[in-house]
Amino acid sequence: MRLEKCWFCSSTVYPGHGIQFVRNDAKIFRFCRSKCHKNFKMKRNPRKVKWTKAYRRVHGKDMTQDSTFEFERKRNRPERYDRNLAESVLKAIPKIDKIRVTREERHHKNRMKGNKEKLLKEAVKELEQGISLVKAPSVLQQDPSLTLPKIKVKVSQQQSEETPAMEE
Amino acid sequence: MGGKCPHRNVKKRRYSHKTARRTKFELKGDDMVYAQLNKPDEEKTPLPVDEDLPGMGQYYCLHCDRYFSNVTVRDEHFKTKRHKKRVKQMMGPAPHTQLDADLAAGMGMPDNGPKLMSM
Repeated sequence: MRLEKCWFCSSTVYPGHGIQFVRNDAKIFRFCRSKCHKNFKMKRNPRKVKWTKAYRRVHGKDMTQDSTFEFERKRNRPERYDRNLAESVLKAIPKIDKIRVTREERHHKNRMKGNKEKLLKEAVKELEQGISLVKAPSVLQQDPSLTLPKIKVKVSQQQSEETPAMEE
Repeated sequence: MGGKCPHRNVKKRRYSHKTARRTKFELKGDDMVYAQLNKPDEEKTPLPVDEDLPGMGQYYCLHCDRYFSNVTVRDEHFKTKRHKKRVKQMMGPAPHTQLDADLAAGMGMPDNGPKLMSM
Protein backbone atom coordinates (compact mmCIF):
# COMPACT_ATOMS: atom_id res chain seq x y z
CA MET A 1 0.00 0.00 0.00
CA ARG A 2 1.28 3.39 -0.91
CA LEU A 3 0.66 6.60 1.00
CA GLU A 4 0.63 9.25 -1.68
CA LYS A 5 1.18 12.95 -1.22
CA CYS A 6 -1.44 15.57 -1.91
CA TRP A 7 -0.80 17.45 -5.16
CA PHE A 8 -1.64 20.81 -3.63
CA CYS A 9 -0.44 20.86 -0.03
CA SER A 10 1.98 17.86 -0.03
CA SER A 11 0.42 16.24 3.01
CA THR A 12 -0.03 12.49 3.14
CA VAL A 13 -3.27 11.12 1.71
CA TYR A 14 -4.36 8.19 3.85
CA PRO A 15 -6.61 5.44 2.51
CA GLY A 16 -10.25 6.43 2.46
CA HIS A 17 -9.45 10.13 2.51
CA GLY A 18 -9.48 12.81 -0.13
CA ILE A 19 -10.28 12.63 -3.80
CA GLN A 20 -8.41 11.75 -6.97
CA PHE A 21 -8.75 13.50 -10.31
CA VAL A 22 -7.60 11.82 -13.52
CA ARG A 23 -7.21 14.28 -16.36
CA ASN A 24 -7.94 13.24 -19.92
CA ASP A 25 -4.19 12.92 -20.59
CA ALA A 26 -4.07 10.22 -17.84
CA LYS A 27 -2.27 12.45 -15.33
CA ILE A 28 -3.33 11.74 -11.77
CA PHE A 29 -3.95 14.48 -9.21
CA ARG A 30 -4.55 13.45 -5.62
CA PHE A 31 -5.99 15.74 -2.99
CA CYS A 32 -6.04 15.20 0.75
CA ARG A 33 -9.27 17.13 1.39
CA SER A 34 -11.83 19.25 -0.37
CA LYS A 35 -9.90 22.40 0.52
CA CYS A 36 -7.02 21.33 -1.70
CA HIS A 37 -9.35 20.10 -4.43
CA LYS A 38 -11.20 23.41 -4.51
CA ASN A 39 -7.97 25.36 -4.65
CA PHE A 40 -6.87 23.22 -7.58
CA LYS A 41 -10.14 23.86 -9.39
CA MET A 42 -9.62 27.57 -8.87
CA LYS A 43 -6.33 27.07 -10.76
CA ARG A 44 -4.28 28.40 -7.88
CA ASN A 45 -0.54 27.92 -7.88
CA PRO A 46 0.57 26.02 -4.75
CA ARG A 47 3.84 27.94 -4.82
CA LYS A 48 1.91 31.14 -4.20
CA VAL A 49 -0.46 29.86 -1.53
CA LYS A 50 1.12 30.44 1.85
CA TRP A 51 -0.14 27.40 3.73
CA THR A 52 1.24 24.79 1.31
CA LYS A 53 4.52 22.95 1.73
CA ALA A 54 5.57 24.05 -1.76
CA TYR A 55 5.37 27.71 -0.71
CA ARG A 56 7.30 27.07 2.49
CA ARG A 57 10.01 25.27 0.52
CA VAL A 58 10.37 27.96 -2.11
CA HIS A 59 10.52 30.77 0.45
CA GLY A 60 13.04 29.12 2.76
CA LYS A 61 10.62 28.62 5.65
CA ASP A 62 11.33 24.90 5.92
CA MET A 63 14.51 22.89 5.77
CA THR A 64 15.16 21.95 2.14
CA GLN A 65 18.39 20.01 1.87
CA ASP A 66 18.93 17.29 4.38
CA SER A 67 20.16 13.72 4.42
CA THR A 68 17.08 12.58 6.37
CA PHE A 69 14.95 13.27 3.31
CA GLU A 70 16.66 10.47 1.44
CA PHE A 71 14.83 7.69 3.28
CA GLU A 72 11.24 8.32 2.28
CA ARG A 73 10.92 8.05 -1.47
CA LYS A 74 8.89 6.39 -4.15
CA ARG A 75 10.55 3.06 -4.88
CA ASN A 76 9.41 1.69 -8.19
CA ARG A 77 10.88 -1.75 -7.76
CA PRO A 78 9.65 -4.65 -5.69
CA GLU A 79 11.51 -5.47 -2.52
CA ARG A 80 11.62 -9.10 -1.43
CA TYR A 81 10.40 -9.51 2.14
CA ASP A 82 13.21 -10.02 4.63
CA ARG A 83 12.31 -10.34 8.30
CA ASN A 84 15.66 -9.01 9.56
CA LEU A 85 15.56 -6.06 7.23
CA ALA A 86 12.01 -5.21 8.22
CA GLU A 87 12.97 -5.32 11.89
CA SER A 88 15.97 -3.06 11.46
CA VAL A 89 13.90 -0.64 9.40
CA LEU A 90 11.28 -0.47 12.13
CA LYS A 91 14.03 0.23 14.63
CA ALA A 92 15.58 2.93 12.49
CA ILE A 93 12.37 4.85 11.75
CA PRO A 94 11.99 6.52 15.18
CA LYS A 95 15.69 7.34 15.32
CA ILE A 96 15.66 9.03 11.92
CA ASP A 97 12.48 10.83 12.83
CA LYS A 98 14.06 12.18 15.98
CA ILE A 99 17.09 13.43 14.07
CA ARG A 100 14.85 15.11 11.51
CA VAL A 101 12.80 16.85 14.17
CA THR A 102 15.88 18.21 15.96
CA ARG A 103 17.33 19.45 12.68
CA GLU A 104 14.07 21.14 11.80
CA GLU A 105 14.01 22.81 15.19
CA ARG A 106 17.54 24.03 14.65
CA HIS A 107 16.60 25.39 11.23
CA HIS A 108 13.63 27.23 12.74
CA LYS A 109 15.81 28.65 15.50
CA ASN A 110 18.36 29.89 12.97
CA ARG A 111 15.61 31.43 10.89
CA MET A 112 14.15 33.27 13.87
CA LYS A 113 17.55 34.54 15.02
CA GLY A 114 17.59 38.30 15.41
CA ASN A 115 13.81 38.58 15.42
CA LYS A 116 13.63 39.54 19.09
CA GLU A 117 16.00 42.47 18.73
CA LYS A 118 14.13 43.65 15.66
CA LEU A 119 10.77 43.52 17.42
CA LEU A 120 12.16 45.35 20.43
CA LYS A 121 13.64 48.05 18.24
CA GLU A 122 10.35 48.51 16.42
CA ALA A 123 8.43 48.68 19.69
CA VAL A 124 10.79 51.32 21.07
CA LYS A 125 10.45 53.38 17.93
CA GLU A 126 6.66 53.15 17.98
CA LEU A 127 6.60 54.22 21.60
CA GLU A 128 8.84 57.19 20.95
CA GLN A 129 6.76 58.32 17.99
CA GLY A 130 3.38 57.66 19.54
CA ILE A 131 3.91 58.89 23.10
CA SER A 132 2.05 62.09 22.21
CA LEU A 133 -1.13 60.02 21.77
CA VAL A 134 -0.94 58.90 25.39
CA LYS A 135 0.44 62.08 26.94
CA ALA A 136 0.23 65.58 25.52
CA PRO A 137 3.65 67.08 24.68
CA SER A 138 3.01 70.13 26.88
CA VAL A 139 2.42 67.93 29.93
CA LEU A 140 5.63 66.06 29.22
CA GLN A 141 7.52 69.36 29.15
CA GLN A 142 6.05 70.46 32.46
CA ASP A 143 6.86 67.23 34.25
CA PRO A 144 10.13 65.86 32.93
CA SER A 145 9.76 62.73 35.08
CA LEU A 146 7.18 61.48 32.61
CA THR A 147 9.59 61.44 29.68
CA LEU A 148 10.70 58.15 28.26
CA PRO A 149 13.72 56.54 29.87
CA LYS A 150 16.78 55.94 27.76
CA ILE A 151 17.13 52.33 28.87
CA LYS A 152 15.55 50.03 26.36
CA VAL A 153 14.69 47.24 28.78
CA LYS A 154 12.36 49.32 30.89
CA VAL A 155 10.26 50.39 27.91
CA SER A 156 7.33 48.04 28.47
CA GLN A 157 7.20 48.88 32.19
CA GLN A 158 7.00 52.60 31.56
CA GLN A 159 4.11 52.15 29.14
CA SER A 160 1.99 50.25 31.65
CA GLU A 161 2.48 53.00 34.21
CA GLU A 162 1.36 55.71 31.87
CA THR A 163 -1.89 54.18 30.69
CA PRO A 164 -3.83 54.67 33.96
CA ALA A 165 -2.65 58.28 34.03
CA MET A 166 -4.61 58.92 30.85
CA GLU A 167 -7.86 57.69 32.35
CA GLU A 168 -7.83 60.22 35.16
CA MET B 1 -7.69 32.61 -18.51
CA GLY B 2 -11.14 32.30 -19.94
CA GLY B 3 -14.45 32.58 -18.22
CA LYS B 4 -16.03 35.13 -15.99
CA CYS B 5 -15.75 35.38 -12.28
CA PRO B 6 -18.52 36.17 -9.87
CA HIS B 7 -18.10 39.67 -8.55
CA ARG B 8 -19.85 40.19 -5.27
CA ASN B 9 -20.21 43.95 -5.50
CA VAL B 10 -22.38 43.98 -8.61
CA LYS B 11 -25.68 42.34 -7.76
CA LYS B 12 -26.96 42.06 -11.32
CA ARG B 13 -23.96 40.21 -12.60
CA ARG B 14 -23.14 37.25 -10.44
CA TYR B 15 -21.58 34.65 -12.62
CA SER B 16 -22.03 32.06 -9.98
CA HIS B 17 -23.74 29.68 -12.34
CA LYS B 18 -21.46 27.03 -13.71
CA THR B 19 -22.34 27.73 -17.35
CA ALA B 20 -20.95 31.26 -17.07
CA ARG B 21 -17.62 29.94 -15.92
CA ARG B 22 -17.48 26.85 -18.09
CA THR B 23 -14.73 28.09 -20.42
CA LYS B 24 -12.48 28.44 -17.40
CA PHE B 25 -12.75 24.75 -16.59
CA GLU B 26 -12.29 23.67 -20.17
CA LEU B 27 -8.95 25.40 -20.55
CA LYS B 28 -5.84 23.28 -20.68
CA GLY B 29 -3.83 22.97 -17.52
CA ASP B 30 -0.72 25.10 -17.12
CA ASP B 31 1.60 22.10 -17.23
CA MET B 32 0.06 20.88 -20.51
CA VAL B 33 0.56 24.29 -22.13
CA TYR B 34 4.09 24.47 -20.78
CA ALA B 35 4.90 21.03 -22.20
CA GLN B 36 3.45 22.04 -25.57
CA LEU B 37 5.53 25.21 -25.68
CA ASN B 38 8.77 23.50 -24.71
CA LYS B 39 8.47 20.73 -27.27
CA PRO B 40 11.35 20.52 -29.75
CA ASP B 41 10.52 21.92 -33.18
CA GLU B 42 10.62 18.53 -34.93
CA GLU B 43 7.72 17.21 -32.88
CA LYS B 44 5.45 20.15 -33.59
CA THR B 45 2.71 19.14 -36.01
CA PRO B 46 0.61 21.51 -38.13
CA LEU B 47 -2.83 22.29 -36.73
CA PRO B 48 -5.44 19.77 -37.87
CA VAL B 49 -8.47 21.11 -39.77
CA ASP B 50 -11.53 20.94 -37.54
CA GLU B 51 -14.77 22.41 -38.84
CA ASP B 52 -16.28 22.62 -35.37
CA LEU B 53 -13.67 25.11 -34.17
CA PRO B 54 -13.54 28.80 -35.06
CA GLY B 55 -11.57 29.40 -38.27
CA MET B 56 -11.37 25.62 -38.91
CA GLY B 57 -8.97 25.42 -35.95
CA GLN B 58 -6.17 27.07 -37.93
CA TYR B 59 -5.64 30.19 -35.83
CA TYR B 60 -4.59 29.04 -32.41
CA CYS B 61 -2.88 30.71 -29.50
CA LEU B 62 -0.68 28.17 -27.75
CA HIS B 63 -0.23 30.17 -24.58
CA CYS B 64 -3.89 30.90 -23.92
CA ASP B 65 -5.35 27.72 -25.50
CA ARG B 66 -7.77 29.66 -27.70
CA TYR B 67 -8.90 29.39 -31.29
CA PHE B 68 -9.60 32.44 -33.45
CA SER B 69 -11.61 32.92 -36.62
CA ASN B 70 -8.86 34.61 -38.64
CA VAL B 71 -5.34 36.01 -38.55
CA THR B 72 -6.31 39.58 -37.72
CA VAL B 73 -8.34 38.58 -34.68
CA ARG B 74 -5.50 36.41 -33.48
CA ASP B 75 -2.97 39.17 -33.95
CA GLU B 76 -5.28 41.50 -32.01
CA HIS B 77 -5.29 38.91 -29.25
CA PHE B 78 -1.49 38.82 -29.21
CA LYS B 79 -1.54 42.51 -28.31
CA THR B 80 -3.81 42.08 -25.30
CA LYS B 81 -2.68 42.37 -21.71
CA ARG B 82 -4.03 38.96 -20.80
CA HIS B 83 -1.99 37.26 -23.52
CA LYS B 84 1.19 39.11 -22.56
CA LYS B 85 0.68 38.17 -18.94
CA ARG B 86 0.28 34.56 -19.94
CA VAL B 87 3.42 34.61 -22.11
CA LYS B 88 5.38 36.03 -19.20
CA GLN B 89 4.03 33.35 -16.89
CA MET B 90 5.02 30.61 -19.33
CA MET B 91 8.54 32.02 -19.66
CA GLY B 92 9.04 31.56 -15.92
CA PRO B 93 9.68 28.40 -13.91
CA ALA B 94 7.93 25.16 -14.81
CA PRO B 95 4.45 24.69 -13.34
CA HIS B 96 3.91 22.71 -10.14
CA THR B 97 3.84 18.94 -10.58
CA GLN B 98 3.29 15.90 -8.39
CA LEU B 99 7.06 15.46 -8.18
CA ASP B 100 7.40 18.97 -6.73
CA ALA B 101 4.70 18.13 -4.22
CA ASP B 102 6.53 14.95 -3.20
CA LEU B 103 9.85 16.76 -2.83
CA ALA B 104 8.23 19.49 -0.75
CA ALA B 105 6.79 16.82 1.52
CA GLY B 106 10.31 15.69 2.41
CA MET B 107 10.60 12.76 0.02
CA GLY B 108 13.68 12.02 -2.04
CA MET B 109 13.79 11.57 -5.80
CA PRO B 110 12.00 8.42 -6.98
CA ASP B 111 14.15 5.30 -6.93
CA ASN B 112 13.65 3.17 -10.00
CA GLY B 113 16.42 0.72 -9.21
CA PRO B 114 19.21 -0.39 -11.48
CA LYS B 115 18.51 -0.65 -15.19
CA LEU B 116 17.61 -4.25 -15.99
CA MET B 117 18.35 -4.15 -19.70
CA SER B 118 21.73 -2.85 -20.82
CA MET B 119 21.33 -0.88 -24.00
